[in-house]
Amino acid sequence: MNWYYVGWGVIGITAVLLIIFTVKFKRKGGYIVRHYPAVEGLRNATTTALERGLSNDVVLGDAFWSYSYPGLGLHSLSVLPHLLTQEAYASGGLSVSGADGSLVLFAQQIVHQQYADGFSAALAALTLGPALHGPTPSSFTAGVLPQIRLRSVGALALFGNYGAEGLLWAEAVASRGGHVFAGAGALTAQAALFSTVDDLLMGEEIFILPGVLSKTVEDQAGWLVEDVVRAGMMLLLVIGAMLKVLGVL
Amino acid sequence: MKKMLLAALTLIVGLTVLAGYFFRAELSPVLTLIIDWGILLLGVAGLIGLGYLVRMHLARLFRREKGGFYSLIALLGFVFSLAFGLVYSPHHPFFRDLILNVQVPVEASLLAILAVSLLYASLRLIRTRGWTLLSVGFLFGAVLSLILNLAFFREEGNPLLAEMIAFLRGIPMAGGRGILLGMALGGLIVGLRVLFSINRPYGEG
Repeated sequence: MNWYYVGWGVIGITAVLLIIFTVKFKRKGGYIVRHYPAVEGLRNATTTALERGLSNDVVLGDAFWSYSYPGLGLHSLSVLPHLLTQEAYASGGLSVSGADGSLVLFAQQIVHQQYADGFSAALAALTLGPALHGPTPSSFTAGVLPQIRLRSVGALALFGNYGAEGLLWAEAVASRGGHVFAGAGALTAQAALFSTVDDLLMGEEIFILPGVLSKTVEDQAGWLVEDVVRAGMMLLLVIGAMLKVLGVL
Repeated sequence: MKKMLLAALTLIVGLTVLAGYFFRAELSPVLTLIIDWGILLLGVAGLIGLGYLVRMHLARLFRREKGGFYSLIALLGFVFSLAFGLVYSPHHPFFRDLILNVQVPVEASLLAILAVSLLYASLRLIRTRGWTLLSVGFLFGAVLSLILNLAFFREEGNPLLAEMIAFLRGIPMAGGRGILLGMALGGLIVGLRVLFSINRPYGEG
């Protein structure tokens, strides 16, 4: 069997379904919006931090692109616009950082785009630009830990591609009474953060985040496609396993 | 107009790269060119990103913020490494020794702290998450995996035990593959949405 064709098939079906459902939902209807207590936790913590005059920290991960997790860097950037609210800007306590120069540069572009899309330019002066505390996971950790200690971090949100070192960032905030939310994509991050972070999204769950933060029909179409393709893949895996047992494959 | 242009450019480049994975021979020259451009752009973006690092430390130094001394050390280290790397190349023996004897031990010490933090977090697992099926299963799985990987059990001469151990060792692999499949699916949908400009992280929407 040529696996290229299987790849083409999965990508092609997903693309077609995505277009069909996006068009359909734009006209009429929608898909079930799931309830995620972890995302509610993030919302509440962010608001509480704003009200108490504490800082809201967002970490975009260690890498824009990696071979093992190619979509995670891009995903962290796609979440960022949903966190850049006017309240967060105006409070001056929003801090965005990453451990990759390109990731930070793209984040900076997104922040500027938000001003261009209707926010007051005066808010720009109040907000810290995205920061690069270090260009490697270790140097970033060494740079961000003193910052967490110096500033009063009320809520920390972790996104993107990072490993077990996320535990050190989470512990630093949690030990000072701050709230930690983590979208853990990498397997090592999931294992490390499971024991510490209450509000944790793992694996494919992280990809629903932009849609849950601000619901759009495009997001709902994406969820439906994900569910359909996931069910199809599960079915194929079961059939494949059965054929393997029977000696056909 | 600008947004339309960006969307069209994203679609054309994205589809070309995607098609290149399947029609490698036919699209090889274009694919190489696009990937080279991408690497170059990412490299430049990384370099500009490093500018943010320098700016942040300089600002901290000039504002006389708390921890400014550490910023001074970071800046000196950065300037020295950059200048030395540019003049003598990163393959110079001194540069290599510097990395092996400074950076590697420092990173190793950070990993040691991480190991202790992981142990401490594992001990607090039940307190944090309560006696749920998931938390007990996680703890049990972690301890079992640790014991199995310590090579405590000798399976030589006992085919049943060997098979059982191989089966138990395979479970995390199966779980990991399941998670990675889900991740790949999520990543595929994010990628396609950016490709079709349904999502535009670089602009509105």
